[in-house]
Amino acid sequence: MSAHAVAKVLDLKGLPCPMPVVKMSQEINSVKVGEIIEVHTTDPGSLADFPAWADTTGNEVLETKQREGSIQIFVKRLK
Amino acid sequence: MIDRLYYFIMVPMVYLAVAWCLIGIAAKIVRLLKAPQHPTTLQIFPETKTPLLAALVDTFTLPTVREHRPLLWFFLMTFHVAFVLLIVAHLDLIPQLSIVSGASHHMIGHGAVGVALTVSVLYLLFRRFRAPVRELSVPSDYILLLLLFCLFLTGDVISWANSWGQNGFVLSKQDFGAYLNGLVKFTFQDPSEVLSGGHYTVIAVHVLLANLFLMILPFSKIMHSFFALPLNALRRA
Amino acid sequence: MEENQKKELLELFADKLTRAARLYLDNCTRCGVCIEACHVYQSMPETRYTAVSRAQNIRRLYEKYFKLSGKIAPWWNEAVELDDAWMDRVWETAYTCTGCRRCMTFCPFGIDTGLIQSIAKLLLIGSDREPKVLTMLADVSISKGRNIEATKKSFAQAVRNLEAEVIEKWRSEGGEEAVPLDVQGADVLYVALAGKHSIVPAAAIMNAAGEKWSLSYFEAVNFGAFVGNPKKTKEIAQRIIDEAERLKVKEVAICECGTAYRVMKHMTGKHSFNVITFVELIARYLREGRIKLDKSKIDARITYHDPCQIARQGGIYEEPRYILKHLTDDFVDLQSNRRASYCCGGGGGLVIMGDKEFRMKSAKVKVDEVKATGATILATACENCHSQLSDLMEYYGLETKVQFVSGLVADALVQETASRKVPAATSEEPQLQLTAKAG
Repeated sequence: MSAHAVAKVLDLKGLPCPMPVVKMSQEINSVKVGEIIEVHTTDPGSLADFPAWADTTGNEVLETKQREGSIQIFVKRLK
Repeated sequence: MIDRLYYFIMVPMVYLAVAWCLIGIAAKIVRLLKAPQHPTTLQIFPETKTPLLAALVDTFTLPTVREHRPLLWFFLMTFHVAFVLLIVAHLDLIPQLSIVSGASHHMIGHGAVGVALTVSVLYLLFRRFRAPVRELSVPSDYILLLLLFCLFLTGDVISWANSWGQNGFVLSKQDFGAYLNGLVKFTFQDPSEVLSGGHYTVIAVHVLLANLFLMILPFSKIMHSFFALPLNALRRA
Repeated sequence: MEENQKKELLELFADKLTRAARLYLDNCTRCGVCIEACHVYQSMPETRYTAVSRAQNIRRLYEKYFKLSGKIAPWWNEAVELDDAWMDRVWETAYTCTGCRRCMTFCPFGIDTGLIQSIAKLLLIGSDREPKVLTMLADVSISKGRNIEATKKSFAQAVRNLEAEVIEKWRSEGGEEAVPLDVQGADVLYVALAGKHSIVPAAAIMNAAGEKWSLSYFEAVNFGAFVGNPKKTKEIAQRIIDEAERLKVKEVAICECGTAYRVMKHMTGKHSFNVITFVELIARYLREGRIKLDKSKIDARITYHDPCQIARQGGIYEEPRYILKHLTDDFVDLQSNRRASYCCGGGGGLVIMGDKEFRMKSAKVKVDEVKATGATILATACENCHSQLSDLMEYYGLETKVQFVSGLVADALVQETASRKVPAATSEEPQLQLTAKAG
């Protein structure tokens, strides 16, 4: 199980392109700097999207976990 | 004084206007050719196997206007076909070019070409006063149409009122031919000597308006007469 | 607006003045034939929502700074100063238009509002006024391409995890990967989107047809094109081109994403490979008998929305209809179809930008046409259109379900085809294997 203290869980399963990243961009402002959002998605593209988004926006992907049919991504707000 | 003004309009100004117009058109075309080609296609599908032919049809028959604005299409076609005939009819006046038999005292069309133009230009002008076209129009749209209307109206006066005299023609095609012959041969002869009578003022006004039209042409949207084909070719290929 | 910024913006403007741009800006007669062309005007009849009005916002600047008449007599064509207030009008040109180019089929000269719109978009970028979400997506896209090696392994794992879903739709033969990656010499490189809905059905269809294909590591969509940044557009497209050249594929099939197809097909020059839409590939499989579809799977009237970027801009009109007629005997076209099709209202980045009210109201004309068909399935072949149309159906309370052509096809695949008969006994094995691998 995850050891991260998660402030918010986002279910982004089945959203059309590019909504997972767009939603993430909106939701990151709903947590405080230093807090963590846990994202649930089914998009293989998210595995590249979220690190790239974090890179571009100055946030951090702490961990990515894959299970069949679901991907968990832990994102920390850095600014 | 007025005679000198008439002379200026009828002779030197004609040369200046034609030269200005030709240089302006050439400058426009050169500027366009110097601009880089667009890097990607601007085509609209479906494709045709003969894009140039399709672009020619688009340019000369205005199928999109016919489909969406049939009444406008009718007047636009009338206007443009009549305009071409008008150019031919004016060239026909020059004795050296004489396209149809020189025997007739009438210009080509016997005045009908001018009427067709006047009516259609009035339609084009009036539709500009109605929303939503009014909201899209800029001053030049009205001014150009007004200028054309006045130009056509004076032309109508010349070609129609011409034959109202008791003795038949006041001024015939041959008289205009003599004036244009002087222009073509650069004789700098005073046109009032060959175009006698009360119509001379109307003719001077007509020529003044034509000069203005020629001078404005290269710097106005009327350049679409040269660019409608390349524009349509972009859509086709 | 500061003089320096104005100068920079005018330089950007000047860079866009190709021969075509000059022709479009110089020759409009404001005849007004284009007025009714726009879906926004049809839904909300305000003059500012006409192609000509949007173009005038840019043309009047052109008049001021690039034409003699604008310098001598600015009143003649109503030349305007480039200032902060006018940038609001520039915004209207860029983002109340979806770039569908329907107006181009009305204009007697074929003036391309899309090209004029691209000037507006560039001016907005230059003055830092563009929708930030679009720039963010383009930047994410570029960053993703640069760091692809770091994420390749986990992407491959995620793709492996999808294989069971692919096999549910089409049983692969033993030993074959249901979603192959990095296949040298593949006939088809399939470029999908991030979501599994653009991978799973396509994989099942290509496997059913016995295609030698490979899934691209990159997403098809090009956010550089949405935001109107030519440099970013090229950089995003280039890595797909590089991948296709590295694998020496014959064809690149773009998933159901209109912008991606247009950029790759028409905006990136000539390639060593052929660029096709995925619907073309499906139609080819059907024509060649490589896949068969079960008409009894769908008991509904289907209609089809032509995505502007693959239809008017790409010429893909008949293939999707050909496919849909293999799925139902009850196919009905929308009243305005093919070249005359109205935009869904979500193009040009609008679907991402957040102003849902405008998006919904401006596309009412589309909803009315869908309603008139009585169809319960609205098929389309573009992710952007799909999102917008789904929102529209919900907003206007229509029961019609929006579906991708590929999704409908994948669900109706007939398992036993002439080209690939899979013995029942072996068909279970790959599933078991893959489930084990995925777990």
